Order: sequence, then C-alpha cells, then structure tokens
Amino acid sequence: MTMALNEIKTKQNIETVAWRWMRYSGILLLPLVWGHVLLQDVVVGVHAIDLDYVIQRWSSIAWQTYDILLLAFAFAHGMNGLRQVLNDYVHGERAKRVLAWGILALWLVVSAIGGVAIVAAAQKHLAGL
Amino acid sequence: MAVNLASLKTTLKGYLKYRGGEGQISFLLHRLTGLGTLLFLIIHILDTSTVYFFPDLYEHAIGLYRSTPFMLGEIALVFAVIYHALNGLRVAIVDMFLPAKWTLKAQRSAARWTLTASIVLWLPAAAVMMRSLLKHNFGLFGG
Repeated sequence: MTMALNEIKTKQNIETVAWRWMRYSGILLLPLVWGHVLLQDVVVGVHAIDLDYVIQRWSSIAWQTYDILLLAFAFAHGMNGLRQVLNDYVHGERAKRVLAWGILALWLVVSAIGGVAIVAAAQKHLAGL
Repeated sequence: MAVNLASLKTTLKGYLKYRGGEGQISFLLHRLTGLGTLLFLIIHILDTSTVYFFPDLYEHAIGLYRSTPFMLGEIALVFAVIYHALNGLRVAIVDMFLPAKWTLKAQRSAARWTLTASIVLWLPAAAVMMRSLLKHNFGLFGG
C-alpha cells in the first residue's frame, strides 16, 4: 500500500512547487523562529529593546543575514498559508485570482519595506550621529 | 468577492458541530496559530521598519509592546509558534519517513503528544515572560 503510494508521480505545477516550499521553509523556520523568539522575547525581553538595541544588532552582518532569512522565509510561508486558507472559503476563479494577486502585492510591498530597513537602518543611523 | 455571511456562518457552525476529535482540533489549531502568527508578523515587520523610516516613532511602537495586553499577546504568540512548528513537524516527519503511521489511531495519539509537548515547552517560556510582565508593569519581584 505505502509502496504504491510512493510510486505515484504527480505533474509539477506552481501549486506543487508552492506546497513543497511550504515544507522546506517550515523546516528551516523551526530553528530560525524559535531562536528569534527565544532570544528577543524570553531572554532579552521587550523592556530591554530600544532603538539603540536594534541599530546595534543591525550593525552586524550576521544578524542582518539572520533577519533577512527570517523575513524572507517566515513572511512567504505565512502569506502562502493565508492564500491556502482563504482558497477554502473563497469560491470562483475570478475571486481566487484577485485574492492571489492581492496577497502577492501585499507580500512584495511589506517584504520590501522590511528588507530595506534591515539592510539600511544601521548605516543611516550611524551616518547621522 | 464571493465571500458572504451565510457561508461564513455555515463554516463556523460546522467547526463547532463537527466532532472530528484530535484530527479536527489539530487542523483548527494549526490554522489559528498560523494566521495569528502571520497577523503579528505583518505588524512586527512594519513597526520594526520604523527604525529606518521614522526612528522617532520606534520608541512609541516599543512602548505599545511593553503594555500589559501586548505582553499577554506575546505569551500567546510563543505558544502559537511552538505548536505550529511541532504540528508541522509531525505532519512532515510522518509524511516523509513514516507513511505507515498514517493511521487514525497513531495520529490521534501523535496529535495528543504534539499538544502536550507544546505546552511543556511553552510553560517555562511563559513563566519567564510572565515574571517580566509582573516585574515591569506591576512592580513585583523588585521591579
């Protein structure tokens, strides 16, 4: 039974690729998100976080890389998940298409805003000092 | 868009009445924790971006995060992140390495273990965060 299931070949399309990336990103996100939440929310805590803390963190290329990975994978995973959930409740090809483009646009805009901040905030702040 | 209240009502009623046991609860928890984390994530990306775009606003944003409702929300967020990861891991591991375990009995038990492990991992983190909340916002523990 399981052998037979393993041998089924499915045609690759954008949905199978999206599904596979949900899994890859999910596995990658376990250490990335747990590490981030454990460090910032539990160990450091929100009362110890201020502008200087974030600037100092983003002055390190290692933390910038960490945060870029987090932003890219977590937000893409979340937005695709949102699309999957909404597809269960929104019917009609046109409505689904509008939804997919809306989610894509929101994803791109918010990712760009976050990406610029991670890459450029420390430089801007230090130049202003 | 083709979203109407009648279908939403049917959906919600279905969720309440459908007696799918552990499987249904896992499904619901996975979606709720995922959507909840995403909602937080969008707000979090935008407010943290003020460090670059409007640095003066950042202190105001972090002030909100230090408020009691937000700190309680963060404690809930930690549970959401732990449960969503463990439940996703359960599905992925069984799918990829243990397909013979895709049985109702085994997965009911696995779903219970997933929830139990999530609570066990969450409690110490929740305790540390609750202590910080009581210390900073209520003056306990020498705060």
